[in-house]
Amino acid sequence: MPEFALAAVSALDGYSQDFDGAVLREVTDLEIVSVAVPIAGQKKLAAKIKSAYGCAVPKPTTTTQSKDGLVRLVSTQADQFLLLFDTATPDGGDKVAAQLNTAGYITDQTDNWAVLRLSGPNSRTALERICPVDLHPDVFALNASARTHMEHLGVLVIRTEADAFLLLSARSSAKSFLHAVVVSVKNVT
Amino acid sequence: MTQDFRIDGGLVDRKQTLKFSFNGRDMYGYAGDTLASALLANGQRLVARSFKYHRPRGIFSAGSEEPNALVHLGQGARLEPNTRATVTELFDGLHASSQNHRGSLEHDFMAVNDRLSQFLSAGFYYKTFMWPKSFWEKVYEPVIRASAGLGKLSMQPDPDTYDKGFLHCDILIIGAGPAGLAAALASGHAGARVILADEDFLLGGRLNSDTQSIGEQSGAHWAQDSLAELASMSNVRILRRSTVYGAFDHGIYGILERKTDHLADGGGKPRHVLWRVYSKRAILCAGATERSIAFANNDRPGIMLSGAVRSYANRWGVAAGKKVAVFTNNDSGWQTAADLSAMGISISAVIDTRDIVAPMAISGAALVMGGRIKDTRGRKALDAITLTSGLTVPVDCLAVSGGWSPNVQLTCHQRGRPQWNDAIAAFVPGGELPKGLTVAGAASGQMTLAAALKSGRKTAGQALVDLGFKYTSAPALKASDEAFSVTPFWHVSGSKRAWVDLQNDVTTKDIKQAQREGFQSVEHLKRYTTMGMATDQGKTANVLGLAVMAEATGQSIPQTGTTIFRPPYSPVALGAFGGRAVGNEFRPTRLTPSHKWATECGAVFTETGAWMRAQWFVRAGETHWRESVDREVRDTRASVGICDVSTLGKIDIQGRDAAAFLNKVYANGFARLAVGKVRYGIMLREDGLCYDDGTTARLSETHYVMTTTTANAGLVYQRLEFARQCLWPDMDVHVISVTDGWAQYAVAGPNARKLLQKIVDPEHDIATEAFGFMACGDVTVCGGTAARLFRISFSGELAYEIAVPTRYGDGLIRALMSAGREFDVTAYGVEALSVMRIEKGHPVGSELTGQTTALELGMDRMVSKTKDSIGSALSQRSELQRDDGRRLVGLIPVDTSDTLTAGAHFLDIGAAAKMENDLGWMTSVAHSPTLGHSIGLGFVKLGHIRHGDVIRAWDGVRGTDIKVEITSPHFYDPKGGLQRA
Amino acid sequence: MIINHPLLGPRDADEFVHLGDAGLINRPDGLAEGAIEAFHDYLYLRDNPAGLYRELWYHEQGDRSWLVVTRDTTTHEISKVELARDVARSQRRGQ
Repeated sequence: MPEFALAAVSALDGYSQDFDGAVLREVTDLEIVSVAVPIAGQKKLAAKIKSAYGCAVPKPTTTTQSKDGLVRLVSTQADQFLLLFDTATPDGGDKVAAQLNTAGYITDQTDNWAVLRLSGPNSRTALERICPVDLHPDVFALNASARTHMEHLGVLVIRTEADAFLLLSARSSAKSFLHAVVVSVKNVT
Repeated sequence: MTQDFRIDGGLVDRKQTLKFSFNGRDMYGYAGDTLASALLANGQRLVARSFKYHRPRGIFSAGSEEPNALVHLGQGARLEPNTRATVTELFDGLHASSQNHRGSLEHDFMAVNDRLSQFLSAGFYYKTFMWPKSFWEKVYEPVIRASAGLGKLSMQPDPDTYDKGFLHCDILIIGAGPAGLAAALASGHAGARVILADEDFLLGGRLNSDTQSIGEQSGAHWAQDSLAELASMSNVRILRRSTVYGAFDHGIYGILERKTDHLADGGGKPRHVLWRVYSKRAILCAGATERSIAFANNDRPGIMLSGAVRSYANRWGVAAGKKVAVFTNNDSGWQTAADLSAMGISISAVIDTRDIVAPMAISGAALVMGGRIKDTRGRKALDAITLTSGLTVPVDCLAVSGGWSPNVQLTCHQRGRPQWNDAIAAFVPGGELPKGLTVAGAASGQMTLAAALKSGRKTAGQALVDLGFKYTSAPALKASDEAFSVTPFWHVSGSKRAWVDLQNDVTTKDIKQAQREGFQSVEHLKRYTTMGMATDQGKTANVLGLAVMAEATGQSIPQTGTTIFRPPYSPVALGAFGGRAVGNEFRPTRLTPSHKWATECGAVFTETGAWMRAQWFVRAGETHWRESVDREVRDTRASVGICDVSTLGKIDIQGRDAAAFLNKVYANGFARLAVGKVRYGIMLREDGLCYDDGTTARLSETHYVMTTTTANAGLVYQRLEFARQCLWPDMDVHVISVTDGWAQYAVAGPNARKLLQKIVDPEHDIATEAFGFMACGDVTVCGGTAARLFRISFSGELAYEIAVPTRYGDGLIRALMSAGREFDVTAYGVEALSVMRIEKGHPVGSELTGQTTALELGMDRMVSKTKDSIGSALSQRSELQRDDGRRLVGLIPVDTSDTLTAGAHFLDIGAAAKMENDLGWMTSVAHSPTLGHSIGLGFVKLGHIRHGDVIRAWDGVRGTDIKVEITSPHFYDPKGGLQRA
Repeated sequence: MIINHPLLGPRDADEFVHLGDAGLINRPDGLAEGAIEAFHDYLYLRDNPAGLYRELWYHEQGDRSWLVVTRDTTTHEISKVELARDVARSQRRGQ
């Protein structure tokens, strides 16, 4: 047994709060791994993704999901996307690396982000106060994603269900981000 | 007071009586009242004193154009000055008071100004307060400040909160009068996403103030039915109490929604929401604003716009007077007379400036065609009017209509230039309108109800077709149309003052004077007389003023110019622009992984950009920051210290061409950095000056991790993206920020390795033979947690930086501190970090100012001349390679009890403190506990060949003049043996 | 302002930062003869047109793309938005 053990702490201490028509929770078990597409390596990577996850590399503003529904792929940049999946162990990067076998450049991004899930009928109304991107269901379809900013903070927003959004923002400013979202929810409920 | 002036009818809810107070007097009104309608109902005619002359003033209008009835609203910290009573929705418990008087409203001592009016004409300030110059600060300015402005601020922090938001739509409809409602119905039915915004709380515009009917319904009923229909559509959003205050580029509009101003208790919700609206099309249906006619003493309480008098009767069930006269140059004045008469209000006279046959009979009223009002009477309010014919008519209310001006404001917010339309004697939208904006209804010059309804539908139809919606035209709505005919008439000439701009006390005399003195251009006129400024922005005054100027210059109105407008359409509280960005929420805060632990350990924090960093850690018994900092430095140098350095920018760089790429962005060579090694690098700007520095570690053939300074993390990342996308687009290189992903701690001091050996799992050999200076690699810590270890030193000691995924950062700092107990480990903050880097002579932001070169920093040999990297070419230009330039040096006070100051300038002994003798300046100073005295870094002209010389550090700001010796900037372990141990 | 991002569609200009003249893409060769002169021109000489202007914008609060935006400086009308990387590549091919 090592003399010193390290306990993992989440960015927002597992924040969880119910509001009138909105539920806000920290998502603590989400592994986030970025994959950069090598120049002239798109085809090879797409094939690897297809064989490993049974889905396509997501186009800008969209996400795709693995065949088993366990992995979500989110476009973040012209030549880069994220893989999001639940895991109990902090080795997401290694897992993806094993799957892709150098077809893409992999960076474990899990600890760069704080993740919130905002759901409920008032979630869109709340986000209206901070999100410049149009989240109207006709425009921001199910599984759509956007990188934008809210209260000066970079945010990746993903519509995961009819009334549910995943919000990813930088971990160091997570408390400010949480505050921004909570105030928005309180202001409309 | 009782509601003596309340009459039957109107759209107020008489079941809901509301109590309010004005100047401490209790009054009553009804739900649906504005403060103005309630004051009128209570017979309160005098409500304000004018800006310059302190003349008694009453309510003039019934909308946001109000120039007179500005009041203090609320109490204590919530007191808000200059609130327009005409748009203030009445609520139970409202407190209002009048402003701009000394003594009571009725007996204002400042009214003496009215008798001094000859001296207070246009340009008074510019002419009077010129000489003597010395009087300005001590005499003139305080006097002007004391009398300037109308209301007074509470001088307390605003207790309310404000919010912002973002809305998206296909069609934004601005104004919910007949044209706006028709446009909204058409757009809503077609399935477009519609936002319908109106500044009023009761939507319908003039439909609520007039008696025309639509189909079989009254206009007001039709409006309510239409709104109910719109409210049932999921694609339509109705924003009440929402002013579209500005038209910005590319279909963006600003809307101020007043959420809680009409509530006695806002329930803690934001008072206002400032919306940014993204629209594909916008339709301006803002209606028109009535203007006045200038005649002698036309500013007394009781003299009102004709349409407002009609509004108070029809919408609010309030008679603005008991004996009313109308003065008009157009048909709408007759409508007022007819409506009031029908409601049983006595009309004494209708005076029409036109020489035409009276359009209608008004029972009991003298009809004077081609008439003029010569003067008015009444001290605190209107008593009587006198016509040029000599006829005097006793009245308590005069309804004036000088015609209607379309509300073109938003069309001017970019390049629009309104054009004169003779048919309606008014400016209509012209020039280049904001892209996507069209105009309907009275705002476009369609001055009758039927025309407004038709143009609303038609304009919406065009927008719908443009956007690809299916639009089927419907039969036109039948409206009982009103007569609208106008013959321009602007002012009755005479020798007495006739007001043009009530809010700024600008009279026809002032305009004529401006013309005589050469301020003829509209823009000059405005600035010289202040016409059109302040809360009403000249909504009722500008066109009249322009007409008077046109007459004075003998030109037509279009020849004289046009009036344009800037945002905001009507006042927006600064709090709304601030939104939530107040106090601690001014900007986001970033916390380091050890923040919680540091708080527990007595850290004093400092802001570094958005980061909160531990500055030093106060231990029991330490009373001065220097004690803590000195101890942290001493203990680190003696044994081991730990510092959170997670704030440094960290960028993951991968790709087949990553090495070549780094060789491009760093000035020194990176092509041959071995895997498992770290190198210090400097970045130049393309102009050859130094930009940033940091270390980059090579983790594998194609994988690097770069660190940047805390301050430049975002900017360096941006420049890397620029380099790979724009400059070398075919290089296979990819960057992603990992700053927040790693908790990184510097472990420094002679016992650093021993401490780390207790944390790093034993299978990783970190002995110096296996893991030498500038080594890096993956390790595991505390029984298998993945970590990265870098053997780099900022303090000059044997030092490492150890990084773990951020989630383990709190655990790692606690583990390191526990493991270090046997070595008397100290945590150190950024202050000790800074002391040690100055002792070591490392440059930071104070030296890397963006104005210094590698040569000046003593790093010129690092700049490779055999490769093309960013800034390499221009770093070689002659000015940046001067032999006689400044160089970074160390500085020690000759009398070591002296304390050096940053910012001091260097002078040779005996040289006068003049710019031409300036040798450079002190960039950084610290008390060095290691050396026992003050030390400094600085740039000295030819400093590299002057080591050992004594010069002066002259600080004119702090008044010190200290002899200092020039030394090497490396005070501590200059050969670097310790960090290699 | 709204910038119609070629990959993401219309986005508020608030999400972007502005750099300036798109000519910055055409970086001279630092090792060539006369490099100092070439860099001087590259870095400091700018047209200041009243009208169409090609300029660089960076989607910092977005997908981190550098864009070449053609904007009319007198009206703010944006007539063209391209990925700077595409522009850089096609210019290189043209050389």
